[in-house]
Amino acid sequence: MARIDPALLERVFDTTEFGPITASEMVSFARSLGEQAACYVEPGPDLRAHPTFCVKFRGRKGFPEDFPAALLGPMSFDAGKDVALGEPIRPGDTVRVASSVHDVYEKTGRSGGMTFVVVRFTMTNQRGEHVATIDNRLMYRT
Amino acid sequence: MTLADVEEGDELPIEELYLSKDAVRAYAAASGIAFARFTDDEGARREGLPGMIAPGNMSMGLLAGRLERWAGVGSLARLGVTFRGIVLPDQTLRLCAAVTQKDEGSGSVEVDVWMESEQGDRLVIGTASVKIA
Repeated sequence: MARIDPALLERVFDTTEFGPITASEMVSFARSLGEQAACYVEPGPDLRAHPTFCVKFRGRKGFPEDFPAALLGPMSFDAGKDVALGEPIRPGDTVRVASSVHDVYEKTGRSGGMTFVVVRFTMTNQRGEHVATIDNRLMYRT
Repeated sequence: MTLADVEEGDELPIEELYLSKDAVRAYAAASGIAFARFTDDEGARREGLPGMIAPGNMSMGLLAGRLERWAGVGSLARLGVTFRGIVLPDQTLRLCAAVTQKDEGSGSVEVDVWMESEQGDRLVIGTASVKIA
């Protein structure tokens, strides 16, 4: 198990706000995925963001300032993510992204050791409603 | 579709799509990630890649869309994916899914999802939870 101070986990190290979100950027995103559903591509009262629109938001800082750099290799890979969805994003919404390190773990594969760092983005809107929780798994070769 | 129409073991009809370079560029621009690796072959090669690639988040978005075309807008509650291989544009991809669990009480259905190449290589795999009214 990678050695990390447990106090670093789950502590919010960055908060960044995005918005107000425009109908135009929501529609552009949905169209780029080939979406045709009216609620994703036609501006109007029913417009809502595509469910993965939220993954375009990320905090300004990648890691806490006191995160041990020795855990990270020179190059990271996006290994995957988990998205739990809440309230849909609507035009005019503001999205607040709170970043924390959720987990750090190691694996050994055919090509050697890897460290995985899971950075969690907890997203809320201007009403404090949960929009999404995204766990980003970053993989570093060690 | 209602929950009664869904059975564990059901496989969703496979959707095929041709992923063009222009589609990848449009996604990268709309996502604010118009980096060389997602927009031009030469820039991507300078980063050690075989050519421009599709962002992992785009694959995730395509799978999310597949699930919603089956279960309805707003049905997706959770989607988790692992990026297993590079997704290169200018190829036909298959969006696939199968029902693994159905919960009558909550109306929730668990689904395995994956994106594969024409050769059958699973480039992205994952699981999802969808709510069916």
